[in-house]
Amino acid sequence: MFDATLPSETSPPDGAAFLAFADADGDTRLTDLYQKTPLRVLFPDRLAGDPPTAALVTTSGGLVGGDRLDVQCHVDKGAKAFVVNQAAEKVYRSAGADVSIDVRLGVEAGGWLEYLPQETILFNGARLRRRTRIDHAAGGQFLAGEILVFGRRAHGEVLAHGMVHEIWEVRRDGVLAWTDVLHLDGDIAAVLKDPHAFRGAGAMATAVYSGSDLDDALETAREVLGACEANAMMAATIVNDLLIVRWLATDPFELRGAFGEFWAQFRHQIAGLPAQLPRLWHV
Amino acid sequence: MLSENGFFRLMAWTSPAFPIGSYVYSHGLEFAVEDGTVNSAAALRGWIETVLTRGGGRADAIHFCAAWRAVDAGDQEGFLEVARHAQAMRASSEMALESGAQGAAFLEAVAASWPVDGLDGWRGLLDGAEPPIKPAQSIAVALAAALADIPLREALFAYLQALAANLVSAGVRLVPLGQTQGQKVIAGLFECLEETVDEALAAEAAEWGNAAPLVDLMSMKHETQYTRLFRS
Repeated sequence: MFDATLPSETSPPDGAAFLAFADADGDTRLTDLYQKTPLRVLFPDRLAGDPPTAALVTTSGGLVGGDRLDVQCHVDKGAKAFVVNQAAEKVYRSAGADVSIDVRLGVEAGGWLEYLPQETILFNGARLRRRTRIDHAAGGQFLAGEILVFGRRAHGEVLAHGMVHEIWEVRRDGVLAWTDVLHLDGDIAAVLKDPHAFRGAGAMATAVYSGSDLDDALETAREVLGACEANAMMAATIVNDLLIVRWLATDPFELRGAFGEFWAQFRHQIAGLPAQLPRLWHV
Repeated sequence: MLSENGFFRLMAWTSPAFPIGSYVYSHGLEFAVEDGTVNSAAALRGWIETVLTRGGGRADAIHFCAAWRAVDAGDQEGFLEVARHAQAMRASSEMALESGAQGAAFLEAVAASWPVDGLDGWRGLLDGAEPPIKPAQSIAVALAAALADIPLREALFAYLQALAANLVSAGVRLVPLGQTQGQKVIAGLFECLEETVDEALAAEAAEWGNAAPLVDLMSMKHETQYTRLFRS
C-alpha cells in the first residue's frame, strides 16, 4: 500500500528511454543509451554553458489507454545532464485502460541532473498513472518537475472524468525523504471546482530541487516567484531537506510561462547555468 | 469493543487539554483567512471538509489505519514503513512541523503519565531507524491507541474529531466567529467525519492520494505571511 507497483514493472514497457551519464576527466559522457519506440532520444545542440542535453520525443504523437513508457536517467559522480521533453505529452480519452509512465532518475554525489518536462495534457476521459521516482546520494543535485493540464482548455474542454494517479517519490541514500500522491477519479469536475481544493484550476505543476545550499535556494526561489507576474498561485517550501515548488493556475498557458521563467532563473542563480531554456521549450 | 478504560484514555488523549500544543497550528488556515478564502462559518466548514475528504485529514486517516493495524498485528516492519511514509508525505515545512511536533509531544506525554504496555519498545523502533523516524501525529496516536486496546474505528473517529475541532477553534479566533457559530460548524461536520472514517477503513487495498493542492499552497504561503499568530 505504501510502495506503489506500476504495471510496467511486471511486464515490458511499450516505449523506453534509458540514459546514463558519467564523468570522464571533467567532461560528461553518455555511457549508456537504450531506446524503444514510441520513445526516442535526440541530442540537440546545447546552449553555451549548458550541460549535455538530451531531448525525449514520443513519436506516436499522443498516448492511448494501455500505453506504457519507461524513462530512466542516471547521472554518475561528477557528471552533469539536462533532460528535456521535446513537446507536450497528450493523453487521450481512454475506453478503460490506463496510460502508465514510469520515470526513474538517479544522481550520485557531485552529480547534477535537470529533468525539465513540458506539460502533460489530459484529454477529458484520460486515465494516467505516472510515477516520478528520484534516487539521489547525499551531495547529488537535481531539479525535476512535472506539469499537468486538466483538459484542452483552448477547446473549452475540462477534465470532467477519467483518472489521474501521480506519484512523486524522492529517496536519499535509499531512504524515502519526500512523497506526494495526487489522486483524481470519479466526478473530477466537482473536485476541480471545489473552491478549497483546486478552485477551478486548469493546470498544476511541481518542481523538486536538492542541493547543499538549501536555505539560499529557498530564498532564491521565493525571489524568482515573487518577481513573476503570471496569474498563478505559486510558492516554495522545504520538506526534509528538499526544496518543493508548486504552481496552480486557471490558465495553463500562464502556468507554463511561470514555470519556465522560474526554471530558467533558478538554474542561473543556483548553478550559474544560462538563464534560458532550450529552444524546444519555446517551439 | 471499546472498554470504559479505553474510552477514558481516548477522551483524554484527544482532548484539547492534552499537552501537545495543538492550539498553535492552523494547517494553513491562517493564510486562507488572510487572503479572504475563508471569511465565514460556511467557508470554514467547506475548507475543513476539503481538508478531511481531499487533503491532509484523509491522508492522516489512512496512515492512522495502517499504523494501528501494524501495531495490533505486531508487525514492526510494516509499522516502520507506514511511519516513514507518513513523515515523508508532507506538503510544506509547516505541515511537517505541525504533525511532527505534535506526534513527539503526544508520545512524550503518554509515556510520562499513562502506563501503556510496550510503548517504549515501539518508540525505540522509531528512534533506532536509520535515519530516525519522527512520527507524525497520526502515527503516534494510532500507536498508543492500538497498544491500549482501543478499537480502530473509535480511535480514528476521535482523532479526526480532534483535528477538525482544532481547526474550528483556529477559525473562530481568526475569521473571527462567535462560539455558537463554531459549535454549529463542528456539529455540521458529523457526516463528513463519518465518511472520512469509512473511506479510510476501506482504503487498505484501494488507491488513494490527495486532491487539495490549494490547501498545500496556502500552507506554503503562510511561511512568508507578514503577521502570524499560528505556527502553521
